[in-house]
Amino acid sequence: MTEHIEGLKYLTGKLELSGSRPVRYLMQTPFCTNRQALEKGFDILQAALDLVTDPARLPDCMRLNHLFSQIHDIQGTLQAVTDKSILDEIELFEIKYFAFLCSDISRLLNDMGFTHEPLYPLNEVKAMLDPDGTGVVSFYIYNSYSQSLASARDRLKNTDPGEQPGEWETLRQAVDKAELEVREELSQRISEHSAVLRENFDTLTRIEIWFAKACLAKRYRLVRPEFIPDDGPEFLAIEGMFHPQIADSLEDSGNSFQPVSIRLESGPCLLTGANMSGKTVVLKTVSLVQTLAQYGFFVPAGKARLSMIDELFVVSGDRQDQLRGLSSFAAEMLELNHIFAAVKKGTRMLVLIDEPARTTNPNEGMALVSALADFFTLYRITALISTHFGDMKLSCRKLRVKGFTRQSVVTGEVNAQNINKYIDYSLVEDMDGLVPEEALRIARLLGVDDSFLELAKKYVK
Amino acid sequence: MPFIDRIRKYKSLSIVGLEKNTGKTECLNYVLRRMAQTQTQVAVTSIGIDGERVDLVKSTPKPEIYIEPGMYFTTLSRYYLEKRFCAEICEVDNGSAVLGGLVTARALERGKIILAGPSDTVSLARWVEQAPIKWQAGLALVDGALSRMSLASPAVTQAMILTTGAAYSANMTRLLGRTRFVYDTLCLPAVPKELAGRCGEVVRGVWAVDERGELRDLGIHSTLSAQDVTKIVHSGERRIFIPGVVSNTLLDKLGHQKEVNGMELIIRDFSRLFTEPDVFYRFLKEGGKISTILKTNLIAVCINPWSPEGYHLNATELETRMQEVLELPVYNIKRLEK
Repeated sequence: MTEHIEGLKYLTGKLELSGSRPVRYLMQTPFCTNRQALEKGFDILQAALDLVTDPARLPDCMRLNHLFSQIHDIQGTLQAVTDKSILDEIELFEIKYFAFLCSDISRLLNDMGFTHEPLYPLNEVKAMLDPDGTGVVSFYIYNSYSQSLASARDRLKNTDPGEQPGEWETLRQAVDKAELEVREELSQRISEHSAVLRENFDTLTRIEIWFAKACLAKRYRLVRPEFIPDDGPEFLAIEGMFHPQIADSLEDSGNSFQPVSIRLESGPCLLTGANMSGKTVVLKTVSLVQTLAQYGFFVPAGKARLSMIDELFVVSGDRQDQLRGLSSFAAEMLELNHIFAAVKKGTRMLVLIDEPARTTNPNEGMALVSALADFFTLYRITALISTHFGDMKLSCRKLRVKGFTRQSVVTGEVNAQNINKYIDYSLVEDMDGLVPEEALRIARLLGVDDSFLELAKKYVK
Repeated sequence: MPFIDRIRKYKSLSIVGLEKNTGKTECLNYVLRRMAQTQTQVAVTSIGIDGERVDLVKSTPKPEIYIEPGMYFTTLSRYYLEKRFCAEICEVDNGSAVLGGLVTARALERGKIILAGPSDTVSLARWVEQAPIKWQAGLALVDGALSRMSLASPAVTQAMILTTGAAYSANMTRLLGRTRFVYDTLCLPAVPKELAGRCGEVVRGVWAVDERGELRDLGIHSTLSAQDVTKIVHSGERRIFIPGVVSNTLLDKLGHQKEVNGMELIIRDFSRLFTEPDVFYRFLKEGGKISTILKTNLIAVCINPWSPEGYHLNATELETRMQEVLELPVYNIKRLEK
């Protein structure tokens, strides 16, 4: 799982998983580019979400969570089973415990009507490890396994180790030998079931992750994304999208996240807006929505129609490549070059670029941004590019963040904490391509030194 | 059996030794054997040794304990597999144990085993708490440790037995003095329940405690460096809570302050106090107070007049004098067994 998408780690951290085992499994999940597999997963996730949102199912869901937390990480034992090793008593107990747990979970899921990820019945394994049919999960090498074991134990019982140490030792060794024979035979019989044991182990992990994803969807009101056909003009349409991590942090400070809608067609789209108007958040949210969808999560939006892509490119200029001796400009150019190569290979992609060429001179910077727009137009690549450069006379589509809604705001009233109350974050089609010049105004509202701003004003053309 | 009757008043008990070879294992085996004759279900474990000290495990093997039929016991899986008697595995916990999982089993026969259970205080407290629920144990028994070998404190049990004896010193006066000192640290008063709950959640740092029992972080991370000790001493706080180790130097410096009278030092439990008797007693004599969050009841002291080197103290005299010094029942296990 890619960790560089901001907000992804935050959300996966909110999944209620029972330990490091399912987390590891989740982290190994690939970015899925198979429409059918994703749709099937979403069907399962929807079924789980229906269950976790049904108040009548609350006790069942709590019990299910409890059972998940009881699963032991028995990968070592499963490996021993696959390798046909002779299992020790503890490993045999682990297999028995696991088989009983599978039955309990399977029964509960059936009661709940969740039949998407069926578990193999392990009745034979259970019977092997519960020869007396007590139904109790504890385990030892039962007498009923072998007549010679039972009689060896019997003889040992009637010998006092203090009074007849030699005799006791001989009998004890006979018991050890008989126990070993039993374990050998049991291990051999269990190894015939190694595939289903492992399959069930993986299935349980998957089910746990589905339910954790469903609980996450319930908590953040995530919705099932819809994948649109490859050939249409529309590439992506998200209504009321939000970024859970930023929304949570805004909520903590008494603010709220304004959901934003966006629609993209194939080809580039420029995104303009004043400073602090949330352009970067738009890019981050789109990247999060697309990524979550292809990792099989529901997405933070009111409604989301997405295209299936092979790769998502996010160029945000805040990578720490300077540490590698690269300037931020050089790092950015190399990242872009990486994208150009992928474009020419025909990769299905979505490109999100935050203020490209902002660290070089405006003249060449504008040239680079214009060239990006041309390049993506030529190759019909959907790219959302935020920029402060204006008047570039580009024919591509342009979106603008509405920005400041109130014209008259008293200096000192606005600050970094409350500025979001004064901004309308919705996106509008921008026909003239002029960028809002509000930098000085915002600096003033933030209470930046007046005499300094007066000096700046002299230079504004 | 007055000794056993005393134990049966409690749901959990730890047995700790003043020193190695002071008869802790004999005492534990005695208790196990006698408890087997009662109707009380027993679960037993031993404080484990944390992973970093694994070499110590190898060089000083833990003594073997005799488990009686029907009893539940918890130990490391590797020790479990070494046992040579029949038992039924009831639970495997692969949790946090560095040295491997812990197995809890019910003995189907009498047999001996090396016990090494939970190795930190939180896990040990959980074991004690769950023993009556999971295994219907009327008595949760812990083979404890006083030494710095373990991170887990035996103070999580309701009651405690201390074993002491000639293995510590052949000089009876010294032995009595040391035992009395440990006894005094064990008998330190507990803070009120509400404050204990609040302090219990804190694991590190140094905290000031106000009249209402509110905690305030003093921003001191350790208590071991000379610099931090000076900071604590000069903080001017009258009521300080230290969840970690309280060193001899720290208590010594605190005891030499002008206004020791009325000062209160709150510690997690007796096992966090690493001080010499003279420093400990001076702090108290100057009017300082030391209280604990976890408090156990010392219910008896067991003596072993024999040292492993072969010399021995006069058993009767030791028993009598110990009794005088401690105001607590003193038992000689060897004599009880006769």
